[in-house]
Amino acid sequence: MQPQEAYEHRHSLETRLVVLRVGIILAISAMVVGFWLLQVVQNGKFQTMAQSNHLRKLPLRAPRGVLFDRNGRELVQNRRSWTITVVRDRDTDVRAAVERLAGVLRLDDERVTEILDRQKRQPLFRIPVVERATIEQVAAVLSHKLELPEVEVEDVPTRAYPSGGLAAHLFGYVGEIRPEQIKSGEFSDIDPGAVVGQTGLERLYNADLQGEDGSRIVVVNSVGRQLDVVGEDDPVEGSRLQLTIDYDLQKAAEESFQALGFVGGSVFLDPRNGEILALTSLPAFDPNDFASGIDSKTFNALMTDPLKPLYNKIIKGRYPPGSVFKIVMAIAALSEGIITPDHTEYCDGVATIYGSPRRCLGHHGRIDLITALEKSCNIYFYHLGEMLDIDTIHKYAAMLGLDGLTGIDLPGEEASFVGSREWKQKLNGEQWYPGDTISVAIGQGYIGVTPLALATMISTVANGGTLITPHLVRAEDRGQGWQPIPSPPARGQLFLRPDVLSTVREALGRVVQSGTAIRGRINGVPYAGKTGTAQANISLANRRAGGDRFETRDHGFFVFYAPLDNPQIAGVIFGEHAEHGSSTSPIAKHVIETFLAKQQGRPLPPSPLTRTASAGTTPAARPGTPGAPGTAPAPGAGAAGQAAGGPGTAGGGQGGGR
Amino acid sequence: MIVDRRLLPHLDWWLVAAIVALVSIGLVTIASVNWDPALGQPGPRFWAQLYALGLGLVVMTVALFVDYRVLAQRSVLLYAGLVLALIVVAYLGVVSNGSRRWIRYGGFSLQPSEFGRVVLALVLAMYYGGSRRGARTMSTVVTGGLWLCGLLLLIARQPDLGTAVTLIPVFLGIIYVAGLRMKWLAIAGVVAVLASPLVWTYGLQDYQKRRVQTFLDPSQDPRGDGYQQIQAKITVGSGGLLGKGFGEGTQSTYGFLPVADNDFVFSAFAEEHGFLGVFVTLGLYLFVIVRSLDAARLARDRVGAFLVVGIISGFTFQVVYNITMSAGLAPVKGLTLPLMSYGGSSLLATLAGFGLVLNVRMRRFTN
Repeated sequence: MQPQEAYEHRHSLETRLVVLRVGIILAISAMVVGFWLLQVVQNGKFQTMAQSNHLRKLPLRAPRGVLFDRNGRELVQNRRSWTITVVRDRDTDVRAAVERLAGVLRLDDERVTEILDRQKRQPLFRIPVVERATIEQVAAVLSHKLELPEVEVEDVPTRAYPSGGLAAHLFGYVGEIRPEQIKSGEFSDIDPGAVVGQTGLERLYNADLQGEDGSRIVVVNSVGRQLDVVGEDDPVEGSRLQLTIDYDLQKAAEESFQALGFVGGSVFLDPRNGEILALTSLPAFDPNDFASGIDSKTFNALMTDPLKPLYNKIIKGRYPPGSVFKIVMAIAALSEGIITPDHTEYCDGVATIYGSPRRCLGHHGRIDLITALEKSCNIYFYHLGEMLDIDTIHKYAAMLGLDGLTGIDLPGEEASFVGSREWKQKLNGEQWYPGDTISVAIGQGYIGVTPLALATMISTVANGGTLITPHLVRAEDRGQGWQPIPSPPARGQLFLRPDVLSTVREALGRVVQSGTAIRGRINGVPYAGKTGTAQANISLANRRAGGDRFETRDHGFFVFYAPLDNPQIAGVIFGEHAEHGSSTSPIAKHVIETFLAKQQGRPLPPSPLTRTASAGTTPAARPGTPGAPGTAPAPGAGAAGQAAGGPGTAGGGQGGGR
Repeated sequence: MIVDRRLLPHLDWWLVAAIVALVSIGLVTIASVNWDPALGQPGPRFWAQLYALGLGLVVMTVALFVDYRVLAQRSVLLYAGLVLALIVVAYLGVVSNGSRRWIRYGGFSLQPSEFGRVVLALVLAMYYGGSRRGARTMSTVVTGGLWLCGLLLLIARQPDLGTAVTLIPVFLGIIYVAGLRMKWLAIAGVVAVLASPLVWTYGLQDYQKRRVQTFLDPSQDPRGDGYQQIQAKITVGSGGLLGKGFGEGTQSTYGFLPVADNDFVFSAFAEEHGFLGVFVTLGLYLFVIVRSLDAARLARDRVGAFLVVGIISGFTFQVVYNITMSAGLAPVKGLTLPLMSYGGSSLLATLAGFGLVLNVRMRRFTN
């Protein structure tokens, strides 16, 4: 090799090595910049992605608050159940995952389609596939965990109602939040898929009862296996509520209805403060059916049942009160000084008032106010209707609690109404006719009140004029011990003159002692009551065509308070199509006896169900079995009246009341 | 074997230290990813790698003490031996992951293809360094290309395209420093650009096309090919400045990052030790490469210089590609990171290569 050539070689080699060196330094520097951008500048973004990659948040559902009765008995509890869920990550193929799971659990295609359709409409991150899973299904999923990385088994506390349908309308039911409820925002701070109260106390006190869901943060590996728990936020159980309800009275009321074969409902409350001791609406439903999603068959059966088991008749049904309204008439007439208790009228079974004949069910002869109430004479009260202006009647009815809402802490209460000039003007622009007043005088025509309103009315009479607010909750435990919840304030105070009160009370005592409610009499405990019969809300034509069909029969009311001289329990029995109020009074009798026995520490009276069973007889009064002893049942009672239950029906209702 | 004590002072201890440091960083990462919580110690792959390191240091020492010229002169024999080994692999090798790469003997398995770069560097260094023309004429470039293709085709048909491709920079590096005319380089570049559509249409298998497409838009296939790329990016990006700490890398230890101790060992390292660790490691790699290029500059003869450039070109290509891939910035290829990735054959071959680099530098003054 020539030196010159060697030098050139050397020179060229060195130059090219420098080029390589510079190139490599540039490449490595570029990589340093790249890593800086990724690791430092964009760190936040990737950190979040890494966390959602390996951390999974499992909801821990809070148990809803337990409901107790006034004596501390658990009425509504929670039980455990399992939900098998598909968890959707950023890139989960939902269809494949659900189908794989369906394969393991052998679900039918229909169910798979249903889930996927639903997912399309309302996408969830946690897709419930099987609710109320059986142990076998849970075991199957756990043993196939490796093939089902996106499937989880959730332990979900589920509402349990140990007494089945008992007080179902009071508790209401829970259900998964519906899409329109999410949109409307009526529940705040709720995840889709959460279970919320839909009716009853569950609905009204949902915010207190539902508690706060917790969560558990677990580390999962790339096939979804849980490796470790890194964080746990315990769920907070919902507030516990102590209700004013007394389980024994509730049970006594429902069993009495059952024994008599009646449907309808009843309310028992403390007339001194408005605490509701029992509230029933029958027939009822079983809220357990709703607790983890009701199947459509059961739901449709409930929806189409003509006896409306989902409908709380006590707060939503409005009926003409019939003769129960005579209490209001008597108080109005006495207080206004229109009559004295000695005022008499003559009843020969029929009277012509404003040119049309009005009937009574008996021939009572010349009677005073007390006897008129005791025997429920229509003629006497027709004449009071002639003497009293409708607006005066309306005023007293309102003061006694028969107008508007009672304010009970249950959702969906309907407002009661008693006709007045202004009311009818608003209703259909017509003026009030004196004949309208005559119908209202015996609780027919332009009047529609809920059974609960009647219970507050009789409570007002019992407590001497305080318009209490019926309510259901007396204490709450938010996790720091029981805090009493004071009774809501009275809605009004009516001044009732002592002579007015004593006259009405004497009359109501005689109703039970020797009058229309004699079947409800309790030996040794005088108490007050008043029966009423209300025309069912159907047209006259139907009534004639229907003959003696169940749904054409009249409703029976019985309002009461006990004991007569020291009222501690008051209420109303509503016998739907029970024909007459007197036939429902034995229900009140049994519940009052239970109440008194409990108060005095005596053994409770035996259940009417066992009594009738041991006697080997059929229930005492099937719907429509006519008659209370000593009265003359008239199948056509009140037949002239028409569709009195709602506004807008022309009302010449005559006859009918007792 | 000639062991001349006078040579020892000329050994580049700095380079040795940097190499040992990088292997150690790799070992720490392998230990973290393969940690066995039940035993409280690293799993078997760590111990296998440690064993390979011991063996590798022996091989490096051997490669150091035999004069590189002696090896270069016998490089054709080594080439023939490797070809023979590759043919044996093709017929008797162990199939793993769909390709036949390993020879197994007892409990010991070897991947001959990993030694392709060292052998090719020796052959080409001897060929270009031994002739005056170097790579200045077309005929020498073509002859060198034939040496390349022999090994490349044998390895590519295993199939192990990743390893095969790493032979190309060995060839390119050597012909570049051996005087390749820049005009040809420019022409080759233009031809490559023009030919790429044809290669795309006719030259690539469907799965290869899919890989490239996935690289360009990983979200197209987040559970399939794009998955690794996305996860690699998340792994590196979530490391932050200081990293999550030893054994705390959630992406690698919970299995989100695939082959976390092998192809993606750098991602796992970056997750646990953050940008700071990355900076140090990249610095070490740069030091190793630049220091080796010094050895080429100082080399006593052109054979030595070319040998070093050949070895370091393959090494550099692998380092740059693998680290770029480990950050999700290059298409996923089955390419290990030399010195750090798990894999005994790779470590052995790499250390053998560095033995030769040290060899050349150590003998820069001898005649």
